Amino acid sequence: MTETLLEIDNLNVDYETARGDLKALRDISFDVGRGEIVGIVGESGCGKSTLISSILRLTAPNTRFRQGEIRFKGEDLLRLPERKMRDLRGADISIVFQDPMQTHNPVLSIGRQMVDIQHRSRASKAEKRELASQMLGAVGIPDPEARLDQFPHEFSGGMRQRIAIAMALMSEPDLLIADEPTTALDATLEVQIIERLKELQQKFHCAILFISHHLGVIAELCDRVVVMYAGAVVESGDVREIFHNPKHPYTRRLIECDPGHIKERARVLPTIPGEVPDLAELPDGCVFRERCNQAVHRCASEVPPLELLKGGHYAACWLNRVEVEV
Amino acid sequence: MSLLNVAGLKTSYGQLNVLAGVSFQVDPGETYALVGESGSGKTTVIRAIAGLAPAQEGSVMFGGQEIRGLPERSLRPLRKDIAMMFQDPVGSLSPRLTIRSLITEPYRIQGMKNRDLDAEARRLLEMVNLPAHFADRYPYQLSGGQARRVGVARALALEPRLILADEPTAGLDVSVQGELLNLLNTLRERLGLAMVIITHNLNVVRHVADRMGIMYLGRLVEEGTTEAIFADPRHPYTRCLLSANPEPDPDARLERIALKGEPPSLLHRPSGCEFRDRCPVAQDICLQTPNWEVDHGHGVRCLVPLSSQLRTRTT
Amino acid sequence: MEKSRSEFSQIIRGIARDPLGLMGLIIVGTIVVCAVLAVWIVPYDPIALNIKDRLQGPSTAHLLGTDQLGRDTFSRVIMGGQVALKVALPAVFGAMAIGLTLGMIAGYGPRWLDNLLMLLFDTIRSFPTVMFALAVVALVGPSLQTVVFVVMATSIPTYGRVARTQTLTLRNSEFILAERSMGASVARILGVHMLPNIVGVLAVLAAMDIPTVIALEAGLSFLGLGVKPPTPSWGALLKDGYALIRQTPWLVVGGGLPIILATLGFTFLGESLRDVVDPKLRKQR
Repeated sequence: MTETLLEIDNLNVDYETARGDLKALRDISFDVGRGEIVGIVGESGCGKSTLISSILRLTAPNTRFRQGEIRFKGEDLLRLPERKMRDLRGADISIVFQDPMQTHNPVLSIGRQMVDIQHRSRASKAEKRELASQMLGAVGIPDPEARLDQFPHEFSGGMRQRIAIAMALMSEPDLLIADEPTTALDATLEVQIIERLKELQQKFHCAILFISHHLGVIAELCDRVVVMYAGAVVESGDVREIFHNPKHPYTRRLIECDPGHIKERARVLPTIPGEVPDLAELPDGCVFRERCNQAVHRCASEVPPLELLKGGHYAACWLNRVEVEV
Repeated sequence: MSLLNVAGLKTSYGQLNVLAGVSFQVDPGETYALVGESGSGKTTVIRAIAGLAPAQEGSVMFGGQEIRGLPERSLRPLRKDIAMMFQDPVGSLSPRLTIRSLITEPYRIQGMKNRDLDAEARRLLEMVNLPAHFADRYPYQLSGGQARRVGVARALALEPRLILADEPTAGLDVSVQGELLNLLNTLRERLGLAMVIITHNLNVVRHVADRMGIMYLGRLVEEGTTEAIFADPRHPYTRCLLSANPEPDPDARLERIALKGEPPSLLHRPSGCEFRDRCPVAQDICLQTPNWEVDHGHGVRCLVPLSSQLRTRTT
Repeated sequence: MEKSRSEFSQIIRGIARDPLGLMGLIIVGTIVVCAVLAVWIVPYDPIALNIKDRLQGPSTAHLLGTDQLGRDTFSRVIMGGQVALKVALPAVFGAMAIGLTLGMIAGYGPRWLDNLLMLLFDTIRSFPTVMFALAVVALVGPSLQTVVFVVMATSIPTYGRVARTQTLTLRNSEFILAERSMGASVARILGVHMLPNIVGVLAVLAAMDIPTVIALEAGLSFLGLGVKPPTPSWGALLKDGYALIRQTPWLVVGGGLPIILATLGFTFLGESLRDVVDPKLRKQR
């Protein structure tokens, strides 16, 4: 049994706005074990950005933590003094962002940036450069030593993203958070990045929290999957279980809609009609009810809790109760 | 007779040869997909067709008329027939205008002020399944999917014969992608539109395009019907692209064909076959320049015989 | 159109929420109202001579005393406000309009035109304002119009440069490309699509520029290159007050204090305006 590295426990986060409270995260609970790759699948508005910024404690001024804890190696990050949080960021917890074009400082060479982020290390500058060069090599940048003196604009988008991964892994973090790292890249580059991540994860044994709305990538990379919709976790479990035996209508529809698995040319592609609800005016009952084609009476009045079905597979849907009762 | 006939189109910016001779045809009512990675030149092709990017050589025939190099004055009346959709859905809408003004802009530009623009706006919004009150909104108030639909509405305002769409589904959530593609399909059938769609997403191509062309470094390397290409890809690059599609199935064991190295810089084009330094099956013969060979409507630019290429699962 | 009206009230409300902005709004509002109603609210005729009451200190009859010709200082201060705005507003808005137009042309047009306009701007900027004023006054004599002209001409390059930079930035945006793809004429692109996105920045610049221009007018009047006496101007008050400072300090106060207040007021307003306009633009992206 892997030791638990990150525990999100009943997290509730709101944004205070002029229109009222935006309930961005509601009762979020899931774990990430040491060395595990957990994928978060969710579309626009599901709350993944709020989740990441909450873990890193880099939130907007109008963010309110109403309830819940984020335990990292046993300590609640939400109650940690800022000083200790800074120690964790970039050392124990690293992050790779979505847009490789904006991640690096355009006026400093890559080598300079990679040496700078080792500021906590007591190694000599030469040693830091050597490590930087090794990391560039590990992510497949040819001629790493020479390229340390180049500037970000001299690298392609795919290379910049690989450099970002190298920088994130240089401190050998316990947890790497990857926020849609391949969304801005072509399919061929996406595949390269995924394979790199797999290799590096084997090498460094870090846990990865991988956020994406690309189901194919999640299926290929992750051990476990958490599905989010409009600020709530609707399903979570082992990757095979989620894809082969989904227990929430949203997950089922999402898989159906992914054109990657529709082999024949479809006259009409499946979609999920309707819109994500307004987080300031959430409907009663299940948040997905308005767009669900399997809703029953109970869905309109009571919010289904996230329940354990079997073997680590959780889902928040009244239909599962019906099954069990039958 | 084809509606759009591009032949030998070449574009360079100084030393950079972005398009090295592109040729393809689109018939009325047909959807043609141009597929390729960033830097392949696909965006430049449609911009050159629309007169927004220069093209130093070659020919672009639209409805039998040569339009490459036409001065803006002569091109303007044709802009009724050729409409463009841009990659950035919100960014391609002028930020300080209402949706109503934005989708009726084509009428104003073409001097058709005597139409009832309010009615036209309502008609167009309905056509793309957007509620009528969206007419008073501003671009920043729209989601990506909604903004894309406004882009479609604007493109259709003057009932064009050809739509050029740049990555119409980029950045859209999967549940919303289908809506847009269904919309395009429906409108295409209803209005008899021809479309050229640019994308790097092969999944999208499969459901929307009749024919497709794969571009690499400013040239077409393979072309054919969508079915033929998916069933029987003949160029190593096409095979690589097709295999680089992670499936939403954790048990799918794709034999991925590794694409070596980086997309080459346009300044240092390899000699002979330009794909050879990344090609998994490159041989000595690839030092020669391959020709474009067509076999029953399926065109390929490759010297390596099919028999010695790797066989892979391509479904 | 509707958007402009509601946007305007939103901007005012945003400025009012900021304490300094509110102060600026009040000060500027007061100056403007006094300037507009000057003719009706002055207790005395600002140019009427009254030698027997000359050089008096402040009293209930004369709030700031009188000057060397017996004219009521307070009335001259209020009238001076009207003069200041009569110079500042046309000069600044004129410069803004011309600078905006030339800047957009420079940013959007062909390279050679851009180079030509930049050369023009740099030439104007390299002329010291006072020398330029001297030259113009030597040609046509001092007057309100002269001052407006001098100030406007020397301000144009500032607005021109900013407009040009904004145009260059926006020129390659997707929405401009989209307009071109629909066949929009250059005039339409600049007038309908570029202009509304540039005007905001220029308006902030203009608000911050008005105090500079007021000070410039005061300076020119102080040197005798500005409005002709007996037209009251804060600069003219300073000029008289400087010579008479031992007899009465109140002329200097009357001339200097409004300039300070106006500068503070417009600066607060301008900065608050910038804060309100900027994040809104960002949110709209």
